Amino acid sequence: MTQTIVIARYNPEQDEKPHHETYQVQSDDNTSVLDALQQVQQQDPGLSFRWSCRMAICGSCGVMVNGVPKLGCQTFLRDYPAGLVITPLSNFAVEKDLIVDKEPFLDHLSAIKPWLINTAEGTQPYVQTPKQLAKYQQFANCITCGLCYSACPQFGLNPEFRGPAALALAHRYNLDSRDQGKAQRMPELNAKNGVWTCTFVGFFSDVCTKKVDPAAAINQGKVESAKDMIVSILKPSGAR
Amino acid sequence: MSSEQNGRRPYLLPLRRDWWLQLRFYRLYMLREATVLPLLFFVGCLIFGLYSLGQGPMQWQYWLEFMAKPWVFMLNLLTLAASLFHAKTFFELFPRVMPLAPPRLMIAGQWIGTVVVAVGLIVLLGGYV
Repeated sequence: MTQTIVIARYNPEQDEKPHHETYQVQSDDNTSVLDALQQVQQQDPGLSFRWSCRMAICGSCGVMVNGVPKLGCQTFLRDYPAGLVITPLSNFAVEKDLIVDKEPFLDHLSAIKPWLINTAEGTQPYVQTPKQLAKYQQFANCITCGLCYSACPQFGLNPEFRGPAALALAHRYNLDSRDQGKAQRMPELNAKNGVWTCTFVGFFSDVCTKKVDPAAAINQGKVESAKDMIVSILKPSGAR
Repeated sequence: MSSEQNGRRPYLLPLRRDWWLQLRFYRLYMLREATVLPLLFFVGCLIFGLYSLGQGPMQWQYWLEFMAKPWVFMLNLLTLAASLFHAKTFFELFPRVMPLAPPRLMIAGQWIGTVVVAVGLIVLLGGYV
C-alpha cells in the first residue's frame, strides 16, 4: 500500500531554515522508517540521513518520528496508520536534512572517561564474578545512539549538561570491579553540569533502545555524589 | 576554516517554551513538579496555625474557623490529592535510584509505611490515646 510521510528538509547552501516536504512510499508490514527513507532517496537522491547496520546496534539512524526519538531501522510504518513526520534528532544542530552534529554529545562522552582506568601493570587477565558483572551490565548495553539527548529537556535547555548517556556510562565504569577511575570521574559527576542538573524527567529511559535506564544511572550517581561530598568533608584536608 | 568557508551552516532549533505541552509524558512530569504549588498553600496554613497557637484562644479559634471555610477545605483537599499523586510517582522512581529489593516490594513497602505513619499521627494527635 502507499503511505504518506513528511520529512524535514534543510539544505545549508539554499535554505534559511528547515521545512517539511511530503512523499509517497510503498509500505507493507515489514517497512521500517529507514526503508521508507531509502525509498525517498530513490526519488530524491539529495535526501541526506545516517544509517549503517539496519539492526539496531550501530545507533546511527536516530530520527524524531512524530516528535519522539526513534531508531529508523527499529520503527515500522505499520505502527503509524495516521501518518508520520520524520525530523532530525532534537536538541542537536542540523547539518543537512536528517543529519545532526553529534560533536557536543561526543565531547560529553569523552569528558567522563568511559573506559577502564586501571593502574595494574602486566598482562594478567581481569577476573570478574557474575555478581560483579551484574552490577553494571544493564548500563553497559548503551550503544551511544544519542536518542536520550533528544528526549532530555534539561539538555535542550542547557547544552553544557553532560547528559544521560555520558552520566550513565560514568556510572557503568564506576560500578565495574576492574576499574579504578572513580576518583577521576567524580569531579565531573559532582560539577554544576553533572548529575545534579538532572530533574528526573525520565522520558529518555522510555526511548532508550537498549533499556539501559539512564535515569536510574544518573540518580544512583546522585547518591554516589552525595557520599563523595560527605567523605571529602570528613577526610582530613591533607588526605583529600 | 570557519563554518561559512566549508559550506557548513548548522541550524539549531532552540527548545520551545511550550516543550512540556508536546508529549503526554512531559505533561505528566510537569504535573508532578506542579504538585508543590498547592503544598505551598498548605504549608502557609500550618505556619499560620502555629502563629495562631502562640497568640491565644481567640486567634486559635479564628484559625480553626478559617481552616473550615469551604474554599480552604477544597484547596487542602486538592493538596492532599496532589501529594498522593507525587507520592505515587516518587515511590515508583525510588526503587530505580536505590535498588535494594524487588521494585514491587519496595513500592508496596512505602505505601504501607505511609498508611502506618498517617494512621499513627491521626491516633496520636487526634486525641484517641
